[in-house]
Amino acid sequence: MWPILLTLALLTSAAAGAGEQDDDAAALALSGAPVTAPAGTSPISLSIEGAQTFARVAGSEERIQRLSLDARFDEMFAPGWRGIVAERIDGSWAEGLASGQPANEEVGTLKEAYLSWQPQANLLLDAGRINARQGVALGYNPTDFFRADAVRSLVSPDPNSLRDNRLGTVMLRGEELWDSGALTVSYAPRLTAHTSRAALDPDFGATNAQGRWMLSLSEQLAPGLSPQWLVFGRDGGSPQVGVNLTAGLGSATVAYVEVSGGRSTSLLGQALQLAGGETFRSRAAAGVTYSTTYKLSLTLEYEYNGAGSGKQQWSDLRAGDGPLYGRYREYALSQQDLATRSAGFIYASWQDLMFKHLDLSAFVREDLVDHSRMEWLEFRRHWNAVDVALRWQDVQGNTTSDFGASTQRQTWQLLLDYYL
Amino acid sequence: MFNLRAVTVLASVKGVLIAALALPGLAAAESPAGNPAGSEAQKILAASDAIRNPSRSFGLTTTMTEYHNGHQTDMSILQIYAKAEAGSGQYRNLIRFVGPARDVNKLMLKNGNDLWFYDPSSQASVRISPRQRLLGQAANGDVVTVNLATDYQAKLAGDEDVEDGDRVRRHCHKLALSAASASVTYDSIDMWIDAENSRPVKAKFFAASGDLLKTAYYRHYERELDVERPTETVIIDGLDHQWVTIMRYSNYAWREVPDSWLQRDYLPRFRPE
Repeated sequence: MWPILLTLALLTSAAAGAGEQDDDAAALALSGAPVTAPAGTSPISLSIEGAQTFARVAGSEERIQRLSLDARFDEMFAPGWRGIVAERIDGSWAEGLASGQPANEEVGTLKEAYLSWQPQANLLLDAGRINARQGVALGYNPTDFFRADAVRSLVSPDPNSLRDNRLGTVMLRGEELWDSGALTVSYAPRLTAHTSRAALDPDFGATNAQGRWMLSLSEQLAPGLSPQWLVFGRDGGSPQVGVNLTAGLGSATVAYVEVSGGRSTSLLGQALQLAGGETFRSRAAAGVTYSTTYKLSLTLEYEYNGAGSGKQQWSDLRAGDGPLYGRYREYALSQQDLATRSAGFIYASWQDLMFKHLDLSAFVREDLVDHSRMEWLEFRRHWNAVDVALRWQDVQGNTTSDFGASTQRQTWQLLLDYYL
Repeated sequence: MFNLRAVTVLASVKGVLIAALALPGLAAAESPAGNPAGSEAQKILAASDAIRNPSRSFGLTTTMTEYHNGHQTDMSILQIYAKAEAGSGQYRNLIRFVGPARDVNKLMLKNGNDLWFYDPSSQASVRISPRQRLLGQAANGDVVTVNLATDYQAKLAGDEDVEDGDRVRRHCHKLALSAASASVTYDSIDMWIDAENSRPVKAKFFAASGDLLKTAYYRHYERELDVERPTETVIIDGLDHQWVTIMRYSNYAWREVPDSWLQRDYLPRFRPE
C-alpha cells in the first residue's frame, strides 16, 4: 500500500511541477505593452457619468436619471506659469418626485479656475478660484475651513463625492516650501452675497459672501510626524485654530486626528443668526485605518462638534417648530457640519472582492445623539476606461432624526462611468 | 481618504486607485542586523540590487500590462522619481499615475513608511499604510524594485541551472532570503542570481504561511544609466498562475529631485516636467 501511495505522491508532485513550468512558459511568451512616453500627457482629462436612481419615498417611488460631465484642464503654458480649470455639470431628469425639487435640473460646479506662478523653485503664488481643501479625517473635516456652502450639486453622500464635487473659493494664495515643511497664506475677499442656481453661474456668492483668510504651517518634527497647524479667520468672526496629525502604527495601520477650535456661537445660533452666546467651541475627528492582507481596509472614526446640538437641544428642536428644525438641518448640511454633538463613522473598502477589478466600498454613519443611521454600499467593476457601479443607500431612524429625515428612505443606483 | 477609486489604482487606487506602484527601493545595500556585511550571500544579493537600482537620484517610466489567460485585462503607466537619501542610500519616491485615464495625475509619495496618496480631483492627500500601498499592482512594484539586501538575510542554497525570462539557461547562485524585520512584505524569498554577472534572473516570493505569492522573471537586459539592467519583469501570480503582469521600464534618466518635492504639501503643486 505504502509504495502505491508514495508513487502517487511523486507523480502528483511531478505533474504539479510540470504544470508550473508550462504556466511560466506561457507567461514568458507574453509581451509588455508598447512604452508610452508620459511627457506628452494631455492637459485635459474628462469623465462622463450616467446614473439611474430608484428611490423609495413615503408611499411611492422616485426615478431619477442623471448625466454628469467632469472636465479638468491643467497646463503649464509658460515657464513658471500654470493654468487650471475644473468644471462639473450635472443634468438630472426625474419622475414621481415627492420632495418638491425641480423635476429637471442642470447644475454647473466651477470647482477651480486659477493661475499659478512659480517665481522661484520653492515659492508659489496663485490667484483665482481654488479648492483649498484641508484635513486628514475620512468622514468629517473640522479643519476644512473653506467647505461651507461649497457643495452645489449633491450627487452622493459618499465623503469622496462631497470632496470631489464642490466649488473652490476665489482667493489669493502664497506658499513657500522648504525641505521639511511649508507655509501657506490665503486670502479670500468678499465678492458678493448674491447666490444663484442658474446652471452655469459660478455662484461666487456661495463661496465669497464674506472675507476669509487662513495661515497654514507644516513642519516635520520627526520621521513620519509632520503636523499641520492652521489659523482661520472671517469677517465678523473670531479666529479659529486647527491641527492635523497622522501617524503610522506598524505596517498596516494609520491613525489620524483633526481638531479645530475657537470662539463662536452654536450652530443653531449661526443658523438663526442670533447675536451673543459666543464661547470657545471645538470640533474634532479621530480615527484609525487598518488594512488586512486580503485587501480590505477598514476605518473607524469618531466625530465631535462642540457647536452642534446636544441631546436636549436636539430633542427640543425635533419636537418643536417645524420650520426652525428644517432651517437648522439645512444650515448644518450646507456647512458640511454635524447637526448634533457627535457621530460615528465606519468606512470599508475591499479591492478585488470575489474577482479582480471588482471593488466594494461601504460606510455606516451613525448619529450618536439620536442613533439614526445612514448605510451606503457600492460595488464597482472597472475596466481600463469604463466603470460600472451599483449603489445602495438606506437610512434608519424616525422622520425627525438626523438621518431618518431624508425623504428618500432607500435608493438603488446604477452608474456607468467613462474616462477619456 | 484613501478610497478604492483612488487606489484602483491603486485602487480607488482607489484604489485604487489604488494603485500601481513600482517603487524604487534602496540602492546602497546595508546589511540587516546580525548578518555581517562580509557574508558572501549578502554580497551577491547587494550586487544584484545594484543592477536593479541606480546608485543616485533618477527617474523612469513603468508600464504595467496585466494578462489573464493570455488576454490583456489592464494597463497602468507610472512615472517615477526616486531620490537617493544621503547616508542610508535609501530612495524616497514620488510616483505619478500617467494611465489609465481614471487615475491620471494621481500621486503617491513614499518617504520610508510615511506614505501619502494624492487625488487632484479632490485635492485630498491621504496618508496610507505600507500595506495599503501594496494593494493591487503595488505589490508587483516591490517585487521589482525593493532593495532586498537591506531588508533580508541571505544564505547560499547551492548553485542551479535555470531558464531566465528570455528562455536562456543560466548558471545561478540560489539564495534563500529571510526577512530581517516584521515590516517587510514577504516573509521569505528564493532568488536566483546569475553566477557570471550578478544579474537577477528569477525570484519566488513567499508568505509567512509558506504559500507562494508570486514568481518574477527579470529579462530584456539593456544598458540604462551606465549599467546593464532588466527592462522587463514578468510577474506570475502565485495563487492563480493565469494572472500575469509584465512591467516594462523606460525613459531612465538621472534626475535631481528637490527635498521640498517630497512632502505632503508639495503634492498639489507637482507638475511633470
